[in-house]
Amino acid sequence: MTEPFPRWKAYGYPLLTLLVPGGGHFALGKRGRAAAFLLIVLSMFAFGLALGGGLFAFTGGNWLYRLAALGEAGGGLLYLVGRIAGWGVVDQARVTQVMFGCGSTCLVTAGLMNMLLIMDAFDIAVGRKP
Amino acid sequence: MIADHFLSMVVFSVLVALFFATLYHRDRKRYIRSVAKTLGWMVVGSLAFAWLMAWTAG
Repeated sequence: MTEPFPRWKAYGYPLLTLLVPGGGHFALGKRGRAAAFLLIVLSMFAFGLALGGGLFAFTGGNWLYRLAALGEAGGGLLYLVGRIAGWGVVDQARVTQVMFGCGSTCLVTAGLMNMLLIMDAFDIAVGRKP
Repeated sequence: MIADHFLSMVVFSVLVALFFATLYHRDRKRYIRSVAKTLGWMVVGSLAFAWLMAWTAG
C-alpha cells in the first residue's frame, strides 16, 4: 500500500491528473490502473469528437451549455487543448447533426470521469484508499 | 462518423462499465462481474426506457 502523504503534498496528484488522465495514479505507483484510466478517458473523449459532439464554452450560449462546459472542463488539459485547437466548435452546422447530443454526452462524461480520477488520486495520496 | 444511436450507446456503456470497474475493483472475478452487471443494466435499461417512450408516445 502507498504511504499516506501530508494533506498539502497530496494536492500535487490531483493536479497531475488534471494535466493527464491517470497521471496522479501513475505517480502514486498505480501504473496499470493509470494506463487503463488514460485509455478509457481518451477513448471516451475521442469517441465524443468522432460522433460530432461539441466542446462548449463558459461564455455565451444558454445555461445548459455552460453546465456542459463545466463538466467537460473536468478533462483539464484535454479540454483546454481541444478548445484552443478548435475541436468540436459549437456552431449551427454542428448542433443540427444527428449525433451531436450523443457526442456531447461522451465529451461531458470524459470530463466527469477525470473529475472522479482527481478525487480518487487525492484519496489514495492521503491514505483513505489503497 | 457513426450515425447509429444503438451502437454508440453500446460503446459508451462499455467505456463507462470499464471505468467504474477499474476504479472500484481489484479482484479479477469481481471486476468482470462489475463490467457485465453495469453493461447489462445500461444497455437493457436504455432499451426498456426507449420502448417505454415509444409506447407512451402512442
